[in-house]
Amino acid sequence: MIEEIIISGAIAGAVYGLLALGFTLIYGVSGVVNLAHGSLYMLGAYMFYVFGTLGFSGSEPLLASFLALILAVVFVGIVGSIAYRLTIHPVIGDEVAVMVVTVCLALIFQQLVMSIFGTSFPPVRWPEGSFLLISTSILGVTVQYSRILAFLVSLGLFFSLLVFITKRKIGKAMRAVSQDREVAMLMGINTERLYMLTMALSAMFAAVAGILITTSTTMSAGAWMWLHPLALSFSIVILGGLGSIKGSLIGGFILGYAEQIVAIEVPEGGAIVGVVPLVVMVAVLLLRPKGLFGKRIEMEE
Amino acid sequence: MVMKYFRRAYSSFAAHVFDIPPRFMAFLFFITLSLIPLSGLNPYYLNILIYANILAIFSASWDLLVGRTGQISLGHALFFGIGSYSTALLSTSFGLPVWITIPSAILIGSLAAVLVGFPSLRVKGPYLALVSMAFPLIIWRIIKWAPLTPIFGGEYGIRGLPRFFPLVLPQLRVAEYYLSLVLLFVTSIIIYKIANSKTGIVFVSILDDELASKACGINVTKYKLMSFIISGLIGTLTGSVHAHLFSRTSTPANFELTLSFLPIVVTFLGGIGTIYGPIVGAYIYSILDKYFLTDLLPKLLRDNLRMTLPSEFEYAKFLIFSLIVLILVIKWPRGLARFTTDKLEDLEEARDLDERGPRIWKRYKKKEKK
Amino acid sequence: MHLLEVENLTKCFGGLTAVKNVSFHVDEGEMVGIIGPNGAGKTTLFNLISGFLEPDSGTVKFKGENITGFAPHKIVNKGIARTFQVVRPFHHLPVIANVMVALKSPRGAKKIEWLKTMERKAVDLLEDVGLSDVALEPAENVGHGTLKRLEIAKALATEPDLLMLDEPFGGLNPLETDFLTKSITRMHLDEPARGILIVEHKLYALMKIVDRVIVLHQGEKIAEGKPEEIAKNKTVIEVYMGKGM
Repeated sequence: MIEEIIISGAIAGAVYGLLALGFTLIYGVSGVVNLAHGSLYMLGAYMFYVFGTLGFSGSEPLLASFLALILAVVFVGIVGSIAYRLTIHPVIGDEVAVMVVTVCLALIFQQLVMSIFGTSFPPVRWPEGSFLLISTSILGVTVQYSRILAFLVSLGLFFSLLVFITKRKIGKAMRAVSQDREVAMLMGINTERLYMLTMALSAMFAAVAGILITTSTTMSAGAWMWLHPLALSFSIVILGGLGSIKGSLIGGFILGYAEQIVAIEVPEGGAIVGVVPLVVMVAVLLLRPKGLFGKRIEMEE
Repeated sequence: MVMKYFRRAYSSFAAHVFDIPPRFMAFLFFITLSLIPLSGLNPYYLNILIYANILAIFSASWDLLVGRTGQISLGHALFFGIGSYSTALLSTSFGLPVWITIPSAILIGSLAAVLVGFPSLRVKGPYLALVSMAFPLIIWRIIKWAPLTPIFGGEYGIRGLPRFFPLVLPQLRVAEYYLSLVLLFVTSIIIYKIANSKTGIVFVSILDDELASKACGINVTKYKLMSFIISGLIGTLTGSVHAHLFSRTSTPANFELTLSFLPIVVTFLGGIGTIYGPIVGAYIYSILDKYFLTDLLPKLLRDNLRMTLPSEFEYAKFLIFSLIVLILVIKWPRGLARFTTDKLEDLEEARDLDERGPRIWKRYKKKEKK
Repeated sequence: MHLLEVENLTKCFGGLTAVKNVSFHVDEGEMVGIIGPNGAGKTTLFNLISGFLEPDSGTVKFKGENITGFAPHKIVNKGIARTFQVVRPFHHLPVIANVMVALKSPRGAKKIEWLKTMERKAVDLLEDVGLSDVALEPAENVGHGTLKRLEIAKALATEPDLLMLDEPFGGLNPLETDFLTKSITRMHLDEPARGILIVEHKLYALMKIVDRVIVLHQGEKIAEGKPEEIAKNKTVIEVYMGKGM
């Protein structure tokens, strides 16, 4: 029914927007097309599981879960930053090399996860009995608090970033570099460290999205789970326009709704939902390559 | 590192000691390969070589597109899968013989190349990479979709494809081996002919500088589409032949991303934009993967150290390869071959090894010497 | 009928008008020079004529045919060839192959004959610009002066009726400049029906060889005439040197 679509679409849209934000951030600032972005999403979910089961049993399980979330996100941020420095930084001028490198990273992460966890799906969930698993009713639809949390956290982070970029010095540095790298360097901005920081942020956003989605939906974790968020990321970013922040949010919502419509209305839609971002992406690239708010792709002269 | 010294040794050997031109080396290579089955090799090992040949053809078709015209493709599995499923559907549903289904599959693949090629020509760089990645993934999802299972067989795919030859092992394997070898040989000749024609030169000009190419009167779109179609054609051929040779099943895995990535790994190992590159890379990969890691290493560990590798080792294999490619790309972003040929240019004879230049000017060089 | 006729060509980039209402013509056998300070719109003009950019308004006619907005390769096949200010060689190919890319190839049966003569034609072209001794060098190894000459060889290979050279003397030392001046003059004499359009900054080299000069400033044509007239033209001098000179 339509209310279900409205609610589910909004929730999915918010988190997808956050995910895409990470992707567009690193592209806008450093020009890197990070094909391992979905892997960072996956790592977030897995690390949440790992930190969650590692030793916070007993006492406050909900508090422990939140701690696990923060640890996982920070961990993934650090991993992303280090991976960037070691693998992407050496080849940063060469677009093709960057893409090959990030695909390699994605496959390495996939295989690592498979080697450690096998093909079984770890239960990435909030603890039993916590209030997050309680449902409430909005517009006549039963919604778990965990999903409302996902919605609020995503939007919260989104706007925090906007504030960060406009008010704080480092944020401004990011905007400067994304507009004109050489001039920014001439003004004394250390691009190398800025890129690492941006990468960390990007990774953290992906990780948060990973945790929020796997804990609040029926989608389970698995070594191949990085493909779908990757497809979503670039689909949203292409739709919204590469390098556009508001584009990521709006694109996120459009895709969130598109997926929910397919999942709910189409028979066996759940399985085919993965096609939606891909089809959207191809359609946008063919009809209006610059997306909704993107900069025009200049002819190289 | 090893490759560099090997190449140096080879060129030294070829150029100085015996003055053997690369074409003769290639000829020797194929002769050696054709004689292998006569040595009574265990058909299991023959399997590895057949796999290597098929992989080489697949990688060569990818390299034609990416290494020679510079159009990024992260979705070559599209053609492999189309080849595989087309021939599967035609032979199981309609009972058509192999020599009809495979050419039909190739036709379908060429059509797909045109359909996919046209939009791909309009986008560049990262966008092209993403679009190329998307196509096979879209089909991958659609093929696994439950409502379409009656047609495509869902997760398990289509089974029961007929064999090529109504023979029994080991002669079957030998016959299949020769088939794969012939196909490799023919493909190599085709690519060689293309590379040494005006079309080949034009491809390189597009790779180097599209704008300058247009300024020379080249219809870049036409040539890009041409390379797309040839690449897709051969890729489809590989997929359909593979379906009948191994496991005789077509599965959704034929459209997977890891398969799209395989020719990249292989070609990088051997050398981008060369004829020997995909072949050498395919052989190295196949022997490393199917022999050393699957066969030799576990045996050695078992016999000497009483160790059995955990089943997770399966996954670690591809991880190792991805790691190798990662390191390769970082150290030599232009590909291994470029690095070695750059080094080899110190040796004057090295210019004869550079496959990118047309053969025609070599004849001129010989005339000049007289 | 003029060989090349440009009428009211205009091109804007965002708020900037790069070329504004420019009109001129080139006749068969004429050598015309285009000069003007940096940013005058000279290269943009070339791009508009050769099809790399589409004008916002105006027309380009070649041999009477309206070729405005045609694709670059089509325009080359009609008979206009251009070189680039910043050389664009094909790095992976040897010098001779660079030229081969540009050679016109006939259709059908003639093709086999052509392949045999292709080499020879390329060699002849390289001789014309004095590059025969580097024919087999990969383009990436060759010096700037050589690359400039290669650009011209590539343009000539397309057998153009109108040759457009964008700053051919850029970065050349006096010896090379002298050699190139003589080459261009010889080219002009060899093909009397061919028109040549040259954009150049090195006025001393350009003024010696052209029949007519067009002066552009901030996208507009401000003067046109014989080289001697232009050299004395007050507006032109002001534009180059500033007022009060």
